[in-house]
Amino acid sequence: MSVLVLLLRQRLRRDWRQLLMWIGGTGALAAASVSGVSQSFRTPADQSNLLITVLANPIILVFRGLPSGPGDAAVALFLILPFLALMAGFMSSFLAVRHTRAEEESGRAELVAAAGAGRFAPFVATVAHGILANLALAAVIAATFIGLGFGAEGSILSAAATGVVGVSALGVGLLAAELMPSSRAANSFAVWLLMAMYLLAGIGNAAGVADVERLRIESALPAWLSPFGWAEQSRPFADNEWWPLLLPTALAVVVILAATIVRARRDAGSSLFAERTGRADAGNMLSGVFGLAWRLNRAAIVGWAFGGLVTGALATKLASVIRDTATDNPTLERILQAITAHTDLQSAAVVVFFTMLGVLASAAAVQVIAKARQEEAHGTTELLWTSPVSRVRWLGASLTVAGIAIVGTCAAALFGATLGLASQSNPSWAVLRDAAIVSAGEAVAAAVFATLTALVLVLLPRLTIGLGWGLVMAGMLVGLFGPLFGLDRAIVDLAPIASVATIDGDAIDWQNTGLFAGVVTVGVLLALALVRRREHQPSI
Amino acid sequence: MTSTIVTRTLVKRYGQKRALDGLDLEVQAGSVHGFLGPNGAGKSTTIRILLGLARASSGEAAVFGLDPWADAGRIHKRTAYVPGDVSIWPNLTGGESIDLLTRMRGGHGASVAAEKARLMEAFEFEPRTRGRAYSKGNRQKVALIAALAVPADLYVFDEPTSGLDPLMEVTFRHEVARLRDRGATVLLSSHILSEVEHLCDAVSIIRAGRIVDSGSLAELRHLTRTQFSVDGTDVASVATLPGVSDVEVRDGRVHFTVATDSVNAALAPLGALGVRGLSVQPASLEDVFLRHYGEVQP
Repeated sequence: MSVLVLLLRQRLRRDWRQLLMWIGGTGALAAASVSGVSQSFRTPADQSNLLITVLANPIILVFRGLPSGPGDAAVALFLILPFLALMAGFMSSFLAVRHTRAEEESGRAELVAAAGAGRFAPFVATVAHGILANLALAAVIAATFIGLGFGAEGSILSAAATGVVGVSALGVGLLAAELMPSSRAANSFAVWLLMAMYLLAGIGNAAGVADVERLRIESALPAWLSPFGWAEQSRPFADNEWWPLLLPTALAVVVILAATIVRARRDAGSSLFAERTGRADAGNMLSGVFGLAWRLNRAAIVGWAFGGLVTGALATKLASVIRDTATDNPTLERILQAITAHTDLQSAAVVVFFTMLGVLASAAAVQVIAKARQEEAHGTTELLWTSPVSRVRWLGASLTVAGIAIVGTCAAALFGATLGLASQSNPSWAVLRDAAIVSAGEAVAAAVFATLTALVLVLLPRLTIGLGWGLVMAGMLVGLFGPLFGLDRAIVDLAPIASVATIDGDAIDWQNTGLFAGVVTVGVLLALALVRRREHQPSI
Repeated sequence: MTSTIVTRTLVKRYGQKRALDGLDLEVQAGSVHGFLGPNGAGKSTTIRILLGLARASSGEAAVFGLDPWADAGRIHKRTAYVPGDVSIWPNLTGGESIDLLTRMRGGHGASVAAEKARLMEAFEFEPRTRGRAYSKGNRQKVALIAALAVPADLYVFDEPTSGLDPLMEVTFRHEVARLRDRGATVLLSSHILSEVEHLCDAVSIIRAGRIVDSGSLAELRHLTRTQFSVDGTDVASVATLPGVSDVEVRDGRVHFTVATDSVNAALAPLGALGVRGLSVQPASLEDVFLRHYGEVQP
């Protein structure tokens, strides 16, 4: 028992800062949704309008929750519950892999197991650690909602729904860690599965039966196959149903049990899906820092580009739905105008989705630069920096690949937009021009994030990963959610993704695109100049 | 004789700590130079400065007459390096990592491929495994094979055999002998004394960021004492010999040491004592080393 306590304390000590950010960030998101509703949809009429719009345009539901009728609290939960559950899911699956497969990979697990912890105590400690983290997250969410004046039962139910999805994602992470040969493979498996489950719930809601009188939707089957769907079926503040939470709880028990069984049967360090052996000689592409940077990042870039493709397809699909059915809906008009500062609805819808594309492209680019820092911390750059290749070319290679990631993500989105238009009976091809202009602007915004991250890499290498991703997160919250939550326009404009090119009718408003292009040019030159004067800094 | 590496009063500070504290190192061109010292003495810090990975706080360093911080690129063109703690790319195979590294050093074509194949066989290396699955020894082999496959003027090895088994150590010694025959300069950082004794023409011993002893192995041995152990005499008689000290009796034999420059003077009177058995051991590098690190010994 005391070994278990010791292992649990070690986990808490290692993770508390990181967990604080996850839990604090999720709590802040919950609070922001409440203030967003109270500012943008204050009256029952506003709320009814919003819900009618949503019922009429089910594709919106792919990214939102399950409408369960009017009321401040019920509407806020419709807007935010699946996001909260997704945050809990990522927090938990990363936590699971971090303390299992990643530890085995680094060899620390062996050390700990041999030091008297045995084979199961570290696993049990990880489960306890994950459950505690989700309890804390749930407590913060419940306290947030109650503190903002929502009913106690609904608040606690929302919190419980979020926490239970988190624990089932913990189980998924643990099982992925047992099956996959590397922490990287386990993490990608868990992330893709969670994203698929999230989309499944959205599709199930979109395909559901609308009840126009009660302003709610009865979900179709796919939503009942996803933990996110189960969490939404509890309908906090509307029905306050507790029994749907039994489903994610049962899933958590099953996957954790499955992980336990695999663990009991395998050798430490082995995995069900073995590592494939590869080629004995490198291909022609892999002959320098650029080839290496491309090789290390290509899989992630393809993933981000796929996200761009889906975003682009949904953008044009949604734009046409809006054009066909909702041109005279004041509520939807107001939402879209708040986000985009626009009057033309169809372009506005495209702009909203392509702002999202800006986030994807920024993340894709920042990941490339963050990878360069990971390589340095890991020690592999020591071999590169002592080869005749200069540091300038080393950084230049990562910046180039980051540029490719941006262009690839945006190009995939435009391709998706074309597909979305082509699938329509009467496509309005002019939308594609808008999409092209907006994505060009978003590419500049993404380049700003990559450039800032590269500067951090050169000047304060140890902060690269935290600051790089932090900037993207902040940019996303301010740029994407800021207008919805009533933030001042001057503040929103600080987020590059929200203040590059937009279209209003035939006029193109380039906003700060030129300024940002200047920032990128100067920043890149500065980073390349300064990297010459920098010591090699592995993590010490 | 020209020097490939020269440092003068090299200092490297990390905050308050002085990792290097006035280090003077000189490595002759064409020699195999042992760089000896325990963990934390400053070996890796010195190497990092010589390769331009870190910048000296003060003092001077020159490799091929070039400043390693300003001219790292030109130095790297002529240098091959094997780090002490080799990290390789987890999702590249060993063979791919070797090819990447040799190509970055300008190694292309059939001769490099043939050399890679020869070295992979000599080191019994399996190139198809992914980097993350390699043991420490195998990661070290990746860096060694990549360093040896493309000819260089200077080879810097930082504890290159710490993960290798004894058979592979022999292979490594064989490869270093080939480098020496080709006229290359080798800086071999190590704390394995037998390895240095086997391979090196000259040695520098580092302690707490300073070189405390430097020279050829013969010169260093000269400064120390030769160990004797004899049968058939007693402590009192031995004590009268010139240059003798550390006299003691163990297992019925008298053990003592003689200053290496007095050995000849001691031999004739020793013969007159009527000894029945005699064994003489020249000073080992270990003795030299322990003389400088004596106080940390139990």
